Amino acid sequence: MSVHEPGTPGETATVVAATDVRRTYHLGEPVHALDGVSLSLEEGSFTAVMGPSGSGKSTLMNLFGCLDTPDEGTVEIDGRSVTALSGSDRARLRGTEIGFVFQTFNLMPRLTAAENVTMPMVFHDVVDEDRRARARTLLERVGLGDRLDHAPSELSGGQRQRVAIARALANEPTLLLADEPTGNLDTETGAEIMDLFRELHDDGRTILMVTHERAIAEHADRIVHLVDGTLDEIEEVRGSKAASGRDRSGSEGSE
Amino acid sequence: MNLRESLRIGWRSIVGHKLRSTLTTLGVIIGIASVITFMILGGAFTADVVGDLDDENEPMMSVVTQTEPDAGTGVMHVQSPIYTESDVDRIESIDGVEWVAPTGSLSPVQLTHGDDSITGGFSAQATNPAPFEEDGLYPLEEGETFSTEDEAIVNLQAARLFDEELSADDEITVTFEDGSTENFAVAGVADVDLGGSSSNPTVYVPLDAHYTVTVETPRDTRERGYPSLLVKTESIEGLDSVQDDVEAYLESDSDAHELKADDHEIVAQTLDDLVEQISGIVDQLTIFIGGIAAISLLVGSIGIANIMIVSVTERTREIGIMKAIGARKRDIVQLFLVESVILGAIGAFFGVAFGIGLGYLLVSWIGWPMAYPLDWIVIAVGVGVGVGVVSGLYPAWRAAKTDPIEALRRE
Repeated sequence: MSVHEPGTPGETATVVAATDVRRTYHLGEPVHALDGVSLSLEEGSFTAVMGPSGSGKSTLMNLFGCLDTPDEGTVEIDGRSVTALSGSDRARLRGTEIGFVFQTFNLMPRLTAAENVTMPMVFHDVVDEDRRARARTLLERVGLGDRLDHAPSELSGGQRQRVAIARALANEPTLLLADEPTGNLDTETGAEIMDLFRELHDDGRTILMVTHERAIAEHADRIVHLVDGTLDEIEEVRGSKAASGRDRSGSEGSE
Repeated sequence: MNLRESLRIGWRSIVGHKLRSTLTTLGVIIGIASVITFMILGGAFTADVVGDLDDENEPMMSVVTQTEPDAGTGVMHVQSPIYTESDVDRIESIDGVEWVAPTGSLSPVQLTHGDDSITGGFSAQATNPAPFEEDGLYPLEEGETFSTEDEAIVNLQAARLFDEELSADDEITVTFEDGSTENFAVAGVADVDLGGSSSNPTVYVPLDAHYTVTVETPRDTRERGYPSLLVKTESIEGLDSVQDDVEAYLESDSDAHELKADDHEIVAQTLDDLVEQISGIVDQLTIFIGGIAAISLLVGSIGIANIMIVSVTERTREIGIMKAIGARKRDIVQLFLVESVILGAIGAFFGVAFGIGLGYLLVSWIGWPMAYPLDWIVIAVGVGVGVGVVSGLYPAWRAAKTDPIEALRRE
């Protein structure tokens, strides 16, 4: 498993790239969910995607997450084209290179926090003892070291999202994908989750986050605006949040 | 994903729905339990009828006439007095035959001993003293075989008809259908065990003095005719070849061959043949009833399939999550298949346990010896697991082709 060191400024490499991707759904009338979008994510970057509903945010997310393949164009993860892969290999890739964080958390209801975190490693055939140890480390990392054996129903929304984030990190993914990660949380808890994302970013994680809230999007380094399935503009965020995040890069693991 | 992991996850899901899983496996449990129970009953019944006949073959055969009954299956014995005196002589002269004891049924109505009288429920047979001789076919509990015409042998069952069991030298009186009575001294008490049919209370009386049926032979003479013969051979080794010779004679130039009705068949039956015949009939019955029981197994498997489909639908979102975090189709298939196989295996295990328990209770209640149908237990376990596989295949396939994007969108 590779450990992602924080990228050195100026020498960053592209780890995930979509090139001129198109995706059309045929629901009676053809709907062009994505109509020629190119976007590359550099190692250690934090990108937010904004846009009104129906602008293609989710479709872009599914393409980057290997849940879907484009009708035209290519998606490459770590230099490998996703389109050419078999369903089984794509599932593999999803498990090892992508970490999903959802708006609705999507934890397995009957499994404990620790077991939820081990799930991606189960499908990746990691040895049992290693899984337990790693789940513990990850849950401690997100501040839930004392909630290992709690069921999701015994956790608050913020805690559940932390479990989901720990699970997303289980296999050391190349890309962390977050779909409205604060959408189901109150403002304060949402802010805490965003702090966690900042910390992960400072650790050198590559993050792509979909949101429709400007305030949340501004935690990222740049904001990609989608309109009607096309890329409208890429806005570099030079706000205080990013800068303050950089300043706190020494405070890894602290709450 | 390795198998141990799917076993663990499958087991959790089963335990997570205790009532549902119990009801689902109940179908398989009932199916397998009833199959096993019927197989135990069948085996026990055979063991009871055949008893220890199974253990050793006696150097003897009985020559009987049989036919196919108008209704039902199997064979029916016919009491036609077609075996003549000459036939008996000819068979006696066959190489390897030690003796032939013709047997004729009499029609008794009452058996009296002292002040005690038994009406009906017993039979009287006229035969030779040979079967009751020392080292003969029927070991005597006490006394010896009859030597004069007013002596008789009773079997154990007949002896026990009276409050005070009959023993050697007791005086008995037999009243026949035509009103005539005969007095006999009990010469001995015999332990006659020739399968189910011979265990009725029976009084054996000397043939020459008490059997009077005669028939007209094909050679226009009148001779005594007997409904069945008991043939003793000199050795057990020679039994098969003597049996062939006896049958060959009876099928060719015997009086019996001429006298028998067209649809009747003459057979020389050894104990082995008898055992085989009885087991054959019981087996047919057992398989027939077991087949009906197997239908409930089919119903049980449909139950598993049904609940697995419900489970897949219910867990669509979970399947979506698992796919999103790296589960391949084959992982999902494995997960659901393992779950339904566990259900089937649990059903098989408890089905076999309940089946053996119920079979044991019934068999001991009836008083038959217990039989363990090992082959059927193996089959039942195989079928249980198979039912799990078959009924899990379609639901698992449905689960595997779930679109994760759709699944995750569901609330």
